[in-house]
Amino acid sequence: MKKDSPKMDDRTESKVIGQAARKNFPAFLSGVLKNRFVLYGISILAFLILWDFIAILKVFGAFMPRPEEVVKYLGVMMVDPLAGRTLPLHLWASLQRVFIGFAISVLIGVPVGLFMALNPYVNSIVKPVFDLLKPMPPISWISLAILWFGIGETSKVFIIIIGAIVPCIINSFNGIRLVDPELYDVVRMLGGKRRQEIWQVTFPAAFPAIFAGIQISLSVAWTCVLAAELVGAREGMGFIIILGMNLSRPSMIIGGMAVIALTAWLLAVSVSWLEKWVCPWKREIQ
Amino acid sequence: MSKKKIICQGVGKIFIQKGVQKVHALDQIDLDVEENEFVVILGPGQSGKSTLLRIIAGLEKATTGRVLLDGKEVAGPAPERGLVFQRYTLFPWKTVLGNVEMGPKLRGVPKKERWETAAHYIHLVGLDGFENAYPHQLSGGMKQRVGIARAYANNPEVMLLDEPFGQLDAQTRYYMEKETVRIWETEKRTVLFVTNNIDEAIYLGDRIITLEGKLPGRKKSTYKVDLPRPREHTDASFLQLRHEIIEETQLLL
Repeated sequence: MKKDSPKMDDRTESKVIGQAARKNFPAFLSGVLKNRFVLYGISILAFLILWDFIAILKVFGAFMPRPEEVVKYLGVMMVDPLAGRTLPLHLWASLQRVFIGFAISVLIGVPVGLFMALNPYVNSIVKPVFDLLKPMPPISWISLAILWFGIGETSKVFIIIIGAIVPCIINSFNGIRLVDPELYDVVRMLGGKRRQEIWQVTFPAAFPAIFAGIQISLSVAWTCVLAAELVGAREGMGFIIILGMNLSRPSMIIGGMAVIALTAWLLAVSVSWLEKWVCPWKREIQ
Repeated sequence: MSKKKIICQGVGKIFIQKGVQKVHALDQIDLDVEENEFVVILGPGQSGKSTLLRIIAGLEKATTGRVLLDGKEVAGPAPERGLVFQRYTLFPWKTVLGNVEMGPKLRGVPKKERWETAAHYIHLVGLDGFENAYPHQLSGGMKQRVGIARAYANNPEVMLLDEPFGQLDAQTRYYMEKETVRIWETEKRTVLFVTNNIDEAIYLGDRIITLEGKLPGRKKSTYKVDLPRPREHTDASFLQLRHEIIEETQLLL
């Protein structure tokens, strides 16, 4: 008998609880309650009921719509244009900015991090300035960005780059610094040259860390685009949220928030799927 | 008849730590290894034995003395010497085949040829069927088999093994020792094997060189092991030699 098996523990525990309840509860019900997905459903349902309750009791005055109103309004936004665009087009506008800013961040950030890690001179030149700018929240750049680039696309992409480039640089730098030095010894013993050390060890060994940085960058980019759109945008998800405030239409705000969360989740899922595809070996975090 | 493959002349090593602190790791090591001989360097932890092996490998420079291979001084790492590391140090992003073919690949051997070489040595170490497995899917003993195959696949004249079975459990270790003898008898190489385990030393070596148990590492004595292979750990002469070495080195306390 396996003593440490969690399954066993569950069963013994439910036996203890079940002893008294058995007479009243049909057996299948205790089985249903142990199902993880049933519990997930209960959790979501409880949240919605609590929300509905708060809306009906008008805890936040008139500015708390019921869940069904939000869903209905989302349906309306899918077909009725707001400021000339339907919801999918607003989402697409935000995503475009994210992809442009994110791509530029990766294209600049990863090589900068790599060069900093591989060349001590580059590191000494770049690191002080980078450390000085790094703790500034990207949102604090919004005012400057608008003064410099106006309220067009450039300032929004600029804010995204400011935020998303940081994890790219840090993770590329650390990824290379933390490569097991004995792997270099292996290549040297097998007769490899310096250039082969970099191609055969440095890059592949640092790749999981770099990829993790890219993952963080993407979620930072998505946060930054919303912040940037809160100020002076005519389209995008951030614009919808601000518009909802200006029009006193909370269904629009909450609907927008739900779409934002769903998109962020889908981005994260697709990137981790991509990771499984490009790094089939196990990621070892030390 | 037999020629001297490796010659160490007065090899010494002083490490400098934190800029000022000197650590004397090795002192005046003289050592000869004959061609196709299996020599074991036996010493406890902190006796400088791994440092000696890394100097012969060319990964460290000797502070004094020199190492000769076929009469030529060793100046750095080279494919003529294969090293099997204490930690497995496999490339986690490469399959078993990718790890084993690494040496020939770095030297620019064409794909077909190096795959044949790799397949041969994967078979030699008994890992048929695991060519496409990643290191994290292998057990400790299998990982070190890959390490041995990788070193062999580069066709080195000298095999250097640095406590290769230190991380394995006792049973796997014993099994890997048997495998090491089998592999060595199939494809003879000059072998220098570092260990802190007396039984492993007697089971494997043609000759055992013991180091003193403290820094700086100095050569203590040499034992010739004349027992026929495969050896038995419970053999009377095995135990006799074991007793002799323990008496003198007080290694196993």
